[in-house]
Amino acid sequence: MRRMPLTAAVAAALLVAGCNGGAGAAGGSGASSNTLIIAMTAAQLPGLDAGTFESEGWEGERFVGMQLYDGLTKMSLNQDKTGPTIEPDLATSWKVSKDVKTWTFTLRPGVTFHDGTPFNADAAVFGFDRILNPKSKYFNADAAGLIGFYTQSIAGYKKVNDMTFQITTKAPYALLTQDLPFLTFPSPTAVEKLGNKAFGQHPVGTGPFKFSRLISGGSAEFVKNEKYWNGAPTLDKLVLRPIPEATARVSALRSGEVNWIEFPSPDDAASLGKEGYIVKTNPYSHIWPWLFDVTKGPLKDARVRLALNLAINRDQMAKGTLSGFGAPAEQYVPQTDVGYQPSGNVLTYDPVKAKSLLAAAGYPNGFSMTLSYPTSGSGNMVPGPMNEALQADLAKVGVKVKLEPVEWSAMIGDWSAGKMSLGADATNISLGFQPPISWEVYFGSKSVFNVGHYNSPQFDALWSRAQATVDDTARAKIIEQINALLVKDNPWLVVVSDLNPRVITKNVHGFTQPRSVWVDLTHITVS
Amino acid sequence: MKRYLGQRLLLTAPILIGVSIIVFFTVQLVPGDPISTLVGAHATPETRTLMTKQYGLDKPLPVQYVVWLGHALQGNLGASISQQRDVTGIVTTAFSNTLTLTAFAALIAVVLGAVLAMTITFGRRRLSRMLSSVVSLASVSMPQYSLGVIFIVVFAADLAWFPAGGMRDVLEPGSTTSLLHHLVLPGLTAAAIPTGIIARMFSATLAEESQEPYVENLRARGLSEWTVRRHIVHGSLASLLTISGLQIGYLLGGVVFVEVVFAWPGIGQLVYQSISKRDYPVIQAGVLVSALAFVVINLVVDVARAVLDPRVRASGVTA
Repeated sequence: MRRMPLTAAVAAALLVAGCNGGAGAAGGSGASSNTLIIAMTAAQLPGLDAGTFESEGWEGERFVGMQLYDGLTKMSLNQDKTGPTIEPDLATSWKVSKDVKTWTFTLRPGVTFHDGTPFNADAAVFGFDRILNPKSKYFNADAAGLIGFYTQSIAGYKKVNDMTFQITTKAPYALLTQDLPFLTFPSPTAVEKLGNKAFGQHPVGTGPFKFSRLISGGSAEFVKNEKYWNGAPTLDKLVLRPIPEATARVSALRSGEVNWIEFPSPDDAASLGKEGYIVKTNPYSHIWPWLFDVTKGPLKDARVRLALNLAINRDQMAKGTLSGFGAPAEQYVPQTDVGYQPSGNVLTYDPVKAKSLLAAAGYPNGFSMTLSYPTSGSGNMVPGPMNEALQADLAKVGVKVKLEPVEWSAMIGDWSAGKMSLGADATNISLGFQPPISWEVYFGSKSVFNVGHYNSPQFDALWSRAQATVDDTARAKIIEQINALLVKDNPWLVVVSDLNPRVITKNVHGFTQPRSVWVDLTHITVS
Repeated sequence: MKRYLGQRLLLTAPILIGVSIIVFFTVQLVPGDPISTLVGAHATPETRTLMTKQYGLDKPLPVQYVVWLGHALQGNLGASISQQRDVTGIVTTAFSNTLTLTAFAALIAVVLGAVLAMTITFGRRRLSRMLSSVVSLASVSMPQYSLGVIFIVVFAADLAWFPAGGMRDVLEPGSTTSLLHHLVLPGLTAAAIPTGIIARMFSATLAEESQEPYVENLRARGLSEWTVRRHIVHGSLASLLTISGLQIGYLLGGVVFVEVVFAWPGIGQLVYQSISKRDYPVIQAGVLVSALAFVVINLVVDVARAVLDPRVRASGVTA
């Protein structure tokens, strides 16, 4: 006791380490058992019920919704050169009526839920009842609320015969099949047996993976569905671990506890790449903008809004601030989406023209404005340094921007109420255009989320035409016109698009990073 | 003694109700709301109305509080808005995880603190005395947040000796060795401050005890230095209990930061996350359970002191 007790204590601690070091290392290479362990950015496991997975937004759709469940349609995500297209899933084909309001789906024969229950039109009606019919016995208000964005166009649905299901929409709506991957089907037998609450802890779907167990500490384990209609996935197990802190995710990857991490900081991604980890990037339908309040002060003038768009150096932002993990966004259509035109109606860096536009609008010496921005949050990238870079660019043309940080939850609350956080002149929030009804949500004159009060009868008319146009090429043309209109009106400051960085270990094979926020995990193996 | 205990227990109820009122109304002052946070940027107004009603958030605040209190008194803490599960289950699991971490850290703090104190007081070599002093001072002064991050960088990310966070191995969640392995870094981090305080306070007690006349008496009888020290330590044990008891109470509050840094699924991390999600029922229950634990630990320490020291007992009765 007299001699160096500290050494003894340290030795004891090391002993514990020694005993377990082996186990830890083996645990890390749990990889060797063909198991993919994903570190998610979410603080909690997404809901596991069909619909409640939306509690963690895109991440919930990506890792729970599309793995445990299927919709009538799905996106082709095992491709990285072109953006995803809509493919048959639980429906093998569909027809739409002339008025673009009635959709008839032929269901895939021979599909069973993980508990053996057959999937048919009754199961489809049961699934829709749970999120659309408050009078049904198993109506799940949480799921209905969370998935409401994707059901807003639906007026009714019915079984036509055993293998035929019909959906009607409130207005002509050609985009229905783009919403359907998110409306997934739970096993009616399991819901009836367990009730809504317990089903949420023991989910049963038709998807490529089956729920296996919850792991204390907030993780979940899925195993492959040997009987998946499209062939069993190549992975044996899939483990989801919520690790909200970016640095903790990187540490977990380095110490071998996980073999896949979502969204590292740009600095970490760059250094992980040098250390031999595989950094995956690809653009997706995403724009990182400022939303102007077009009813306020100098921002009322479209020339001023154009000037600001010409005054920012997007290349510098993408290469410098974001270490290459972002791409310049020079128009309103993300480069992955239909309607994107590489040249033509684009906004490029031209501070001289910006200055002259400001002078023409009566602000030769610039003006002052405020910007509220989130300090964190899904898709918001690294808002602090990015907004400071924009502040510096705009200062060069005389526009002084006061940056006002807002906590993400508070900002979402304001946005939902149709308000700009802190009553600022502009607000920074990340937005995507998948599914495409988002166009209406952001710019429609009647949309509650149009926080910048952009009001354009021209936009409204173009969008109603777009959403009633079944032909993809014809609709792409309309989106091009919408972009031309927006590049003239500039309700936003369009800045960059995220490249969706994620890092995997070298022993994860067969993953294709799609041009999408969603992923296909069925072709992966871990050696 | 019984009366003393009775008085203390009676005080617990108003303390908890007070805490619940303060928490209930404070969280409402924070901008943002749970439904918007949950359903995100895209939810339709219909969705929002549906969910607001579902969780009773459309009623006036005082009504919401009374409804909550009524349910809580029957042991029903409501449902989590962000997780769609019963709050009772969520909070119970999280709290038992916190207790595991606290108990482990307390063990480290008491053992290491006592060992350091004895080295400071009795150490033969100047170097070991100094080193122990420095360690005890540094551990008190180092913020847990930074210490935890340093541990992660050195022992998890660089050396990969310990996991960077979490509580169990996701592949073998039942394994006790894996639990211990996960406990080391957060345990040491949480133990740092109480270790230092125990070391410094206990070494002062030991020094004081060494000056007692009986010690000289023992030496005069020709007992070996080793035996004399055993007597000194024995005479100071009651005060070690008091010092440690208080520190364990504080430890329970301090692990909040440690849990956040190490993604330990305890009550601290739960409340922290629930605040970002504005999950009112979970915040409410989490804070209440922590308050209850603090009150109970204080009570246990006071009772233990009363049992060990008749003077405390006497003053308790007259108070």
